[in-house]
Amino acid sequence: MSEFAIETRGLSRRFGRQLAVDALDLHVSRRAVYGFLGPNGAGKSTTIRMLLGLLRPSDGQALIQGLDVGRDRIGAARQVGALLEAHGFYGNLTGRENLDLARTLRGLDRHELDRVLDLTDLRSSADKRVSDYSLGMRQRLGLARALMGSPSVLILDEPTNGLDPDGIADMRRFLAELPDRTGATVFVSSHLLHEVEQIATHVGILHLGRLTVQGRLSDLLAGQPQDIELATSDDAQARTLALAAGYDVADDLRLRLAPHDDARRVAAEVNRALIEAGLDVHRLAPRPRTLEALYRQARLNLPEAA
Amino acid sequence: MFPILRTELTKLHRSLALLLILAAPTLVGLFLLLNGLRDGQQRPWEVWLGASSGIWAFFMLPMSVTALTALLAQTEHAPRAWDQLRALPIARWRIYAAKALVVLVVVAAMTALCLMLTLAAGALAGLIRPENAPTGPLGLATVAESLGRIYLASVLMIAIQFFLALRFASFVPGLVLGIAGTFFAVVATGAEEGVFLPWQMPVNILASEPWRAQTALGLGLGLGLLALLAAIAVLSHRDVP
Repeated sequence: MSEFAIETRGLSRRFGRQLAVDALDLHVSRRAVYGFLGPNGAGKSTTIRMLLGLLRPSDGQALIQGLDVGRDRIGAARQVGALLEAHGFYGNLTGRENLDLARTLRGLDRHELDRVLDLTDLRSSADKRVSDYSLGMRQRLGLARALMGSPSVLILDEPTNGLDPDGIADMRRFLAELPDRTGATVFVSSHLLHEVEQIATHVGILHLGRLTVQGRLSDLLAGQPQDIELATSDDAQARTLALAAGYDVADDLRLRLAPHDDARRVAAEVNRALIEAGLDVHRLAPRPRTLEALYRQARLNLPEAA
Repeated sequence: MFPILRTELTKLHRSLALLLILAAPTLVGLFLLLNGLRDGQQRPWEVWLGASSGIWAFFMLPMSVTALTALLAQTEHAPRAWDQLRALPIARWRIYAAKALVVLVVVAAMTALCLMLTLAAGALAGLIRPENAPTGPLGLATVAESLGRIYLASVLMIAIQFFLALRFASFVPGLVLGIAGTFFAVVATGAEEGVFLPWQMPVNILASEPWRAQTALGLGLGLGLLALLAAIAVLSHRDVP
């Protein structure tokens, strides 16, 4: 059995002359919460559609729990629960009726309805027509449907869309706990970097159809170069001193460190040099390593984090 | 297959399609009732039932099939439900076959309802104005057989409308073709070539020349079943972007 819950090998999709997804090699470990990031038009939705067997790849293959989606779509689909951007709910039916359609089609026990309604806190509004649901309620109903049958892989496209702050916090907590509670792997496509950073164990960043970064989030952030923010009583002299010491200094007096530099050691050295030069140090702070910095760096068309 | 069929029928709850299913035969019955009460003339059941079959086959059936397939398809197109359906661990041909079966069953039910409401209209006319009560033998078996043949001859038209409605997210192509088909079926009633027009096949069952009825039934049912199978195969295998 494959060590990956989701794996793609050279997965590509062309629309006419445009290459929407270019030789994608995704590796999503079991029980990971994988944040799939990228700007609009990067190819995230196309990739998800190929993972779900909704779109045939032009080249390469997609595997879910080791099952080739192209060869055994039904087997692969049995492993997956999906929340797509278009919920596809029938407005003339209630939430419960909508879920019951999915339950019937998946051949699941009737108790599944109440279980997923409880999990998503929708039981009290389950008998309202979906046309009367708010966007947030539809999102939770979509999650409820995705959770039916306890799939081993959850593919969620922008799961926090339309949720209020409390709903976002609930969703974040829910998804972060899911691998430990159920053993499921969670694949989340999102543009909310802060949200993904709080729940993802792994990330992949897609840009122009290509995977530019992929790996365990903690490893990726550890490999990120840091900055040190600096403010003194004489910034011009501080800049001269820093340049003379061999540091890369940005216009706003940030010291841009190399990946192997120890930020704390550098901060101490700089502090000592500035004080010895008679300057007052107002601020000397290693800049935290964030997913946003990683994301911006991965997007070749954007300047490095400001 | 039964679970998929059950879900397809569930989707009709509180839907516009359900309203259409009831409204189209009701309009035929209502027209016949008003027409029957219009003057002091007493008509035999044969005339009542013949008028009902004629209106149904000539106009109401083609228009109903056009509207019904559009409404049923829009229940999936409008909320973009195809992705959820097609991502399920079910063979896709089953999804489309279930939809086709529902359309066939619903059109059959509408045809039967048209007959029942015609009988109800005749009975009601007799209650309101006894001098307008239909006369003569009912001849129900003959009418039922005739309506059955009308229904079978409509299968090709159903297949075409079904395919267009599901193939295109917009309801416009199916609607335009349905209206155009019905229009030409009406204006070319007398034309011999009309029997080859799918929208005119149902009414040709009522033609006095036996060859027209036989041709309409043979082509409508035979080609219709083939076209339905082809539609299911094409829809199942295409990517929905």
